[in-house]
Amino acid sequence: MNWKILPILLRKEFLLEFRQRYAISGIILYVCSMVFVVYIAALRATPPVWNVLFWLIVLFASINGVVKSFVQESGNRQLYYYQIAEPVALLVAKIIYNTVLLLVLSALAFVLYGLVAGNPVKDLPLFLLILVLGSSGFSIAFTFIASIAAKANNSATLMAILSFPVILPMLLTLIRLSSIALRLMQDTAYMRDILNLLAIDIILVTLTVVLFPYIWKD
Amino acid sequence: MWWKSLSVVLILYVLIAGLLVPLKSGIERVSPDALRCGDTVALRLYGYNTFFAKNGDEALRVWLTFDDRHAIQAESAQAINDTILEARFRLPDYLPKGKTSAYLNVIADHPEAGASILPAGVEIRRNEAGSENGRADSLWRLHPVENLHVQTGFSYPYQNVIYETIRNTYFHVPMWFALMFLFTSSAWFSLKYLRDARQEYDRKAAAYAESGLLFGLLGLVTGMIWANYTWGQPWSNDIKQLMTAVALLIYLAYFILRRSFDDPQKGARLAAAYNIFAFASLIPLLYIVPRMFASLHPGATGNPAFGSQDLDNTMRAVFYPAIIGWTLLGYWVAELRFRIQRLEDKKMGLD
Repeated sequence: MNWKILPILLRKEFLLEFRQRYAISGIILYVCSMVFVVYIAALRATPPVWNVLFWLIVLFASINGVVKSFVQESGNRQLYYYQIAEPVALLVAKIIYNTVLLLVLSALAFVLYGLVAGNPVKDLPLFLLILVLGSSGFSIAFTFIASIAAKANNSATLMAILSFPVILPMLLTLIRLSSIALRLMQDTAYMRDILNLLAIDIILVTLTVVLFPYIWKD
Repeated sequence: MWWKSLSVVLILYVLIAGLLVPLKSGIERVSPDALRCGDTVALRLYGYNTFFAKNGDEALRVWLTFDDRHAIQAESAQAINDTILEARFRLPDYLPKGKTSAYLNVIADHPEAGASILPAGVEIRRNEAGSENGRADSLWRLHPVENLHVQTGFSYPYQNVIYETIRNTYFHVPMWFALMFLFTSSAWFSLKYLRDARQEYDRKAAAYAESGLLFGLLGLVTGMIWANYTWGQPWSNDIKQLMTAVALLIYLAYFILRRSFDDPQKGARLAAAYNIFAFASLIPLLYIVPRMFASLHPGATGNPAFGSQDLDNTMRAVFYPAIIGWTLLGYWVAELRFRIQRLEDKKMGLD
């Protein structure tokens, strides 16, 4: 496989985002308004509630951040990519780009939600590690599902119903790990959960790489 | 087709044997259930499927056991009727290992009905503090539990809490075996569709998924019936129940995805890709996540669902045919769905 095209595709993704700033601004605004809505809806959130609400904010922000990655480009342009690049290279570029995007979004959500609702995180390095793991996992799963959902007319509904059940094991593991970072739970053997997450990520990457070419050809 | 007849025969066998074969004898409860050291007590054992009065020449024997090596035997055991047995114990003044209180297992041995055990059947307390460990321990070792009889004949094990619901093993558990086989077949035909886009494969994948979904629902319902008797309520938000419900949602999403495209070929291709993806995420949902949380379900906290003591040879003789019978029935349902779908497509002029 020709990997030389990967940096070019990645550059394209960032350039595209930079040129169409309204899209990224929209998603940032989405995170901000969601943080405030969630904060006002649950004013005095105890740390366990904080934990769950935070991950729900990240989940919804991620879905909306990723879903546009296939929708926003027109059919003609996709045909052009299809001719010049291998599907796997395209997918890997999208996953890397979405991981970066989701990292920015979840960091933003953390800072904002921590600002308004207080920051109960006791073990910051662990929490940041969980954010990285979560962003990459969400990015892999959602990029794949978005590539399916983008082909349909009702892509927003499809995106939700296809991705929620699939993402659940990952979300549960993330909430569990982050409750360890919030010291809500004593568990010294959390390495096992991190390995579980990595294993899920690896399975998802393998599957998406194998299956994506079939979705991509139209 | 031979396998359809086989499934009918096996399921009839499972229904008849599963519902009619009796349970082994067991002790349901004892009274009084709290004892004091040093007392002489008459303990009444209430049996289930027992025939205490029919004991022939050999005597009935009853023990209270502290652990594997410490037990006391009843001085006499008198059957009042077939289901009530009165055992007289002279309890020692001290408990083994210097304990002040303990739960004792009750073991009754009948020449024909065999030995039955009621785990932690009575609580025993000591009157005053004292530490004559050595002497107390030797009293508890005078009459070890030995020469137990085994009930012969075709019957299912008696287990407290589970009782007669043990028969659900032949209905609830095979549903999940059938579901795994059906979903595996569905993913297999999706894979075949991706390699060679024949409408036949897509219809087969969908039919197997539909049949698997049906068995998932049946497994959930039989599980809820079982939970109603053993856990106290049909739905207790157990992680295993929740994850199963989510797993079924994945397949509902698959059907929606398959039908949400104007171009059926495009829908079939995307649905096939999602089906494989969904099958892979089924494994963590059903087998990894439930082990991370506390659960009432057997096998959820790391042990296998069925140990050797749960499934004896009599149960195996029904359980394995049940798995084969229900799985074949699942394939039969899938085949019917597949043929109906093919006829409908022909009528619509899609084929």
